[in-house]
Amino acid sequence: MKKSLKYKYRNELEVLPFLLPGFILLLIFIFYPIAKNFYMSLSDYNIFLDKMNTFTGIDNYIRVFKDKMFWDAFINTAAYAAVTILPQMAIGLILAIIINTKIKGSFLFRILFYIPVITSWLIVSLIFRYLFESGDAGLINYLLLKANLIQTSISWFSNRWTANAVIWILAVWKGIGWNMVVFLAGLQGIDRSYYEAADIDGANIIQKVRFITIPLLKPVTFFIMTNLLVGSFNVFTQVYVMTNGAPMGRTQVLLSYMYKVAFTDFQIGYSSALSVVVGVFIFILAMGQQKFLNMGYKEGQL
Amino acid sequence: MTLKKLLVGLFSLLLVAGLAGCKADPKPVSGKVLFWHTYSEGEEALFLEEVVPLFNEAYPEIEIESVRMPYDGLKQQVITAYTGNVAPDVMRMDIVWVPEFAKQGILEEVSAFDEFSDLKDNFFAGSLSTNFYNGKYYGLPLNTNTKVAVYSKAVLAELGMTEAPATWDEMIALARTLKASDDRWGLTPQGFGPWGFLPYFWTLGGKVTDDEYSVATGYLNSADSIAAVQQLYDYYKEGLIGPAMFGEQPDAWGGMAGGNYLWIDDGPWYFSIIGQTAIDSTIVSTIPEGKGGSVSVVGGEDLVMFNKSENKDASWTFMQFMMTDEVQKIMAKTGMIPVTQSAADSLTDVPAYVATYIEQLKTAQPRTPSASWGSIEQVLSLAIESVFRDEKTVTEALNDAATEIDALLK
Repeated sequence: MKKSLKYKYRNELEVLPFLLPGFILLLIFIFYPIAKNFYMSLSDYNIFLDKMNTFTGIDNYIRVFKDKMFWDAFINTAAYAAVTILPQMAIGLILAIIINTKIKGSFLFRILFYIPVITSWLIVSLIFRYLFESGDAGLINYLLLKANLIQTSISWFSNRWTANAVIWILAVWKGIGWNMVVFLAGLQGIDRSYYEAADIDGANIIQKVRFITIPLLKPVTFFIMTNLLVGSFNVFTQVYVMTNGAPMGRTQVLLSYMYKVAFTDFQIGYSSALSVVVGVFIFILAMGQQKFLNMGYKEGQL
Repeated sequence: MTLKKLLVGLFSLLLVAGLAGCKADPKPVSGKVLFWHTYSEGEEALFLEEVVPLFNEAYPEIEIESVRMPYDGLKQQVITAYTGNVAPDVMRMDIVWVPEFAKQGILEEVSAFDEFSDLKDNFFAGSLSTNFYNGKYYGLPLNTNTKVAVYSKAVLAELGMTEAPATWDEMIALARTLKASDDRWGLTPQGFGPWGFLPYFWTLGGKVTDDEYSVATGYLNSADSIAAVQQLYDYYKEGLIGPAMFGEQPDAWGGMAGGNYLWIDDGPWYFSIIGQTAIDSTIVSTIPEGKGGSVSVVGGEDLVMFNKSENKDASWTFMQFMMTDEVQKIMAKTGMIPVTQSAADSLTDVPAYVATYIEQLKTAQPRTPSASWGSIEQVLSLAIESVFRDEKTVTEALNDAATEIDALLK
């Protein structure tokens, strides 16, 4: 009996030593922090002394859902996802298609469009803050005034939605290059014979894009979308640097709000509860997307 | 075999290192004091060139390692340093932080040291009180300051004045004249936060809490307080208040240099950072007197010791040394106002503007001393900002804020 059991799991037993290092790392760096974070969220935690002051149970979680600032941050994050994902995908796709058509200097364009992607978030955030400076001394205001598009200069960072708009513009500008490169990889995987056949049928360029390129890019499109959606919930640097929540916390996103609650207000327990809520939300979102993505792959196969 | 030897070797090395770490035997008044501060460049130079040599003369066994920290993100740095066991021994921190950090249980109680009772009586009571939390003291005051009215000489001259207006109404009359030209404003509080806004609020007759700092309702939302905020809001609508209040351009210092503002309120660092140009181009005066008098806000820094310090005796020696008249007077050269009676009384050889700051300090008020100050500050900022951004009426905003602050003061 014992012997047969050992025999049955022989393969597994042999692999075990190889799995162990990875499993231990996972335990230390992923599972332990998650468990500790959850433990902290049940109390008024003192980060300095690393101990619970008072056990508060689910109070912090109740507070999350009543917190107006949290909902503002949630809406800003959702708006960021809703507004920035499609434009950067669309522009990225168009650029990829153009560059894929063996035009002169396509290599150069590929590099130029990719430069924003590898530039530091911190630096471009600072540059954007200066570009969108209030008053007519800000470059963007100056240009808009010169072009007679606006009559008085805009105080970009003084209003919730204009400040958000700057955050979005930066995200799209910085994201296009990555979209383009991934789409380009997808395009190069499409067999040229489809296009040749379409040529014979007399299809024009729009028709070729509409009926060959886009359907065949479906798996890539889903891949990009998942990445951008999950990425949207990780937006932090540009908000922290450009607005830091101003005016009145109305441009705060989930991560920057969590950071403020934890490291400016020292409300470690509450910020842990916030991060649990956000973590669960992202988990559900990613799972939903995964289902969707699998579906996309299946449909994309010809 | 060789592997085993290597392991044994490594292990014994670790053991030795561990023992050496434990061996730090506390010789009296010797050791190394890691000191974090946020002195400006000029202040740091003075500290390093005059104060430290003086200290080393008296205590050659103690080494001061002074680190100038950036003010941005400093609170976060304290968290990571303390939890990572690399916190400084002594730190010069903003007076409003001390009760907050004391509440977190990371500061050494200085009232437990024998010498404290002797030091105590020489401090200005207001400065000392910023170190008070829950019946004990967690730091020593180091330097105090406040903000005074800094007028642009050029703009005043343009308005036909050679000296600063004495009263609020005179100042407003000048602001109204100035409004006629583009991009010029009479006054501009620097932000909606208490540090920026309170001098204006108090000068116009407002109050945040009772004198015991125990309740805000009935004070923050009293008729006088509502009238004070309403008056400032009306000035803003009239176009007398500059965009620096909203964090927009021209900012306060840029606007002073560019002749956009008649006056701003600022601390002595305005002069120690910009230098001689600032002294030559301005006229310094106390805040123009309004209904509530001429009331500014007390600022400054305290010296605290972290309770994880391994050099408590050396640190305490250093902290006491910083309180001596000699050191207090050296640092006063940059406009840092002494916190001890004896040093302030015998102050000589300081820039002319320092006298105005000392004068202003007589009526200046502290921000509500409380371990919840961080939250109170946010409530106040939000209340004032929501008025100026037309989201709430003055009465609504102050009523809401008073209720919230009451809860935080409990």
